[in-house]
Amino acid sequence: MAESAGYVAASAIRYNDDVVKKFVIATMFWGIVGMAVGVFIAAELAWPSLNFWPPYLNFGRIRPVHTSAVIFAFGGSALLGTSFHVVQRTCRARLFGGTALANFIFWGYQFFIVMAALSYVLGFSKSREYAEPEWHLDVWLVIVWVAYLIAFTGTVLRRTEPHIYVANWFYLSFIITIAMLVIVNNLAIPVSIYAAKSYSVFSGAQDALVQWWYGHNAVGFFLTVPFLGMMYYFIPKAANRPIYSYRLSIVHFWSLIFIYIWAGPHHLHWTALPDWTQTVGEAFSVMLWMPSWGGMINGLMTLSGAWDKLRTDPGLRFSVTSVGFYGMATFEGPVMSVRTVNALSHYTDWGIGHVHSGSLGWVAMISFGAIYYLVPNLWGRSGLYSHRLAAWHYWISTLGIVLYISAMWVAGIMEGLMWRAYDTQGFLQYSFIESINAVHPLFIIRWLGGVFFLAGILIMAYNLIMTVRSPRTAARATDISGLPLPAVGD
Amino acid sequence: MNDEEKFSALVIGALMAVFALIGLMLASHALDVEMSIFGWSLAAFALVFLFGLIRRHFDQEAAAKNEEVRRHG
Amino acid sequence: MPTKIEKDSVTGHETTGHEWDGIRELNTPLPKWWVYVYIATVIWGIGMFVLYPAIPLGSWVTPGILGYSSRADAIAGVKEMAALHTTQMQEIGQKSFAEIEKNHDLMEVALTAGRITFANNCQPCHGPNGEGRVGYPALDTDVWRWGGSIEAIQQTITDGIRSNDPDARNSQMPNFGGDKLLTPDQINQVADYVISLYGKAKPNAATDAGAKLFADNCAPCHGAKGEGSREVGAPPLASHVHLYGDSREVVVAQITHPRMGVMPNWNKRLSPAMIKAVALYVHSLGGGE
Repeated sequence: MAESAGYVAASAIRYNDDVVKKFVIATMFWGIVGMAVGVFIAAELAWPSLNFWPPYLNFGRIRPVHTSAVIFAFGGSALLGTSFHVVQRTCRARLFGGTALANFIFWGYQFFIVMAALSYVLGFSKSREYAEPEWHLDVWLVIVWVAYLIAFTGTVLRRTEPHIYVANWFYLSFIITIAMLVIVNNLAIPVSIYAAKSYSVFSGAQDALVQWWYGHNAVGFFLTVPFLGMMYYFIPKAANRPIYSYRLSIVHFWSLIFIYIWAGPHHLHWTALPDWTQTVGEAFSVMLWMPSWGGMINGLMTLSGAWDKLRTDPGLRFSVTSVGFYGMATFEGPVMSVRTVNALSHYTDWGIGHVHSGSLGWVAMISFGAIYYLVPNLWGRSGLYSHRLAAWHYWISTLGIVLYISAMWVAGIMEGLMWRAYDTQGFLQYSFIESINAVHPLFIIRWLGGVFFLAGILIMAYNLIMTVRSPRTAARATDISGLPLPAVGD
Repeated sequence: MNDEEKFSALVIGALMAVFALIGLMLASHALDVEMSIFGWSLAAFALVFLFGLIRRHFDQEAAAKNEEVRRHG
Repeated sequence: MPTKIEKDSVTGHETTGHEWDGIRELNTPLPKWWVYVYIATVIWGIGMFVLYPAIPLGSWVTPGILGYSSRADAIAGVKEMAALHTTQMQEIGQKSFAEIEKNHDLMEVALTAGRITFANNCQPCHGPNGEGRVGYPALDTDVWRWGGSIEAIQQTITDGIRSNDPDARNSQMPNFGGDKLLTPDQINQVADYVISLYGKAKPNAATDAGAKLFADNCAPCHGAKGEGSREVGAPPLASHVHLYGDSREVVVAQITHPRMGVMPNWNKRLSPAMIKAVALYVHSLGGGE
């Protein structure tokens, strides 16, 4: 770029783009798999007779396949891939540890995903939400994660830039915190080292608290913090604008990671968890609102002076919309954590809607934005194959999200109201099954929303394959408008 | 191939040999189907990865030689 | 690279002077509204710590000014709702079924309580309207295994069937196939005869052999004409209502390796008055005697 033409040294560094490419492909593959499974289990909920197939396709076994495939396989591949891309470029250093280490991280992580999905289908599960893999797979994950930490921090340590870019703080806090969370929550004693079954070292309310300390911070440090890192690189890159506020990035980063870690108990409001723990969870969840929004402000305000790019850059449109959904979900979260609101929303489909406004609207869309940016760059193409298809993807997935979350809001509030309704004689007014019957149409709308979102990612996959293959996008080395040339990889 | 690449391939290669053995051990003593599948898969994974490392090594050696020939005739 | 502070022409703010892969950062101050709202949420958080139980100190926890307890809150809520029907439920517990049925108001409370209790406890097996499903008896027909009077229903709910309750209704169908009491051929003959009892086959010479076997092996419980016996909960066979189905295969399977359902004893979970209410509700479903 014109500004950085001052130093030529950058072109002398051979970045490891090969591993980033692999992760991009894996992201798309797992995105399609995970969302397809999601559509299937949504259908199982709407039409329960779909459950009465061989046990392998039962909702109870397939649901963790969906959550793991979208969170850890799709989201995780997007995070590992973009983190390697970002850390190399913002540190001006080749990925630490050599090709063998990078390939081990990639294949080791994919191996974990496949083995985990297989174990759920076979009925092996620790029954901890988002931490279902049995102990042997956890050990494997930790090995891969340590390799990841070595490659990432090694690159940061040998940077040729004097300062560490903000995106890298976010990625690093993700790597370190996830290691801590996974290790503590999965502490378990196996029946035998030759058996897959294990028992948690915690029990009772403490076990529940450890699980939701993990579960909530999986949302925080897997689905929020590192995706903010992604935002801090790809939005200014695509918009070609400076980050709105350096100070805000520091203040909201440290507030976010300090406050997030306390908020887990709000998942256990109105349970056997002691009241004081619930108070702590609620208080910190409310305080989390502004630190979360700090990221949104920095993401959106970075576009000042470049809003017109939304019309021409489909990737940027995804990124910016995702920041909008991020702001919405991080406001909804603190509201739902207030005990009185939670009395209505807990255990209902409102929670499912909340998670999906975050995961579809924020996580998936910011990843789409990054991938639309990365693919032409990494594969050295002149641009996307079709902006029209990207626009179709954008609108069909936005419509899918709107259908999904509004159906779940209505369903959740309806369930909450029906479950607490008493008649004049002081008896419950509705039975559980009546609430299920009531939300049936909404479950069908939710399924339809999922179908739309899946259709969107399929369009995207086609568009990306054509971007790499079509002669229309053949590289014209000097003509990559606004995008820096891909570095020479291997 | 610089030292970092060589060292990296050596360490990862050694780790893979260990993983393959652990996989075989788990598979041979497995008490349930999951551990059996995991053991065999781990051994296969490590073995395939090792072959990849070896292939990569020889590919690069050949490429370096070709480059040498090209430069000096 | 040296620090190079520039002025951004769009916003008028200065950059921090660093650059990473072409990305620079502005040194914009924190937005005021952001800081104020942040402080407000922190004050809210501190307020919660003051008002509610919050800080654990050894085995003691700061109780908060409000002295709030979610357990006490829940108990109070349950009491408030219970107070709306305490007297009526007491009356239901004390009065006989005949007396309750005569009292319109009391009957209304009983049926309301019975309906919701049935819906939350009995529906999973017996179906939303008591229509039953395979292996779980329908309650809206006049075919009863253990009796369809209110009192009989009350007893079934209270002690259960083949539950571990000492007063449970117990009976066992012999394992004719598994224990080799009958040969497979004989079982087939019996089955032919049994399905003829409800018109699935015509009684003829072929069913005569089965009729003989039936009289010897099955009639003691199921009755000479397959009318069933409530003493031992033997289902009527000469009937159009069947627990596991009416096909010949199902009958053969049942004689060979009998399936026998279990119903929990609800006396551990529901009060006697509530069980009476449920009994009245079930009795009203359409099959009551």
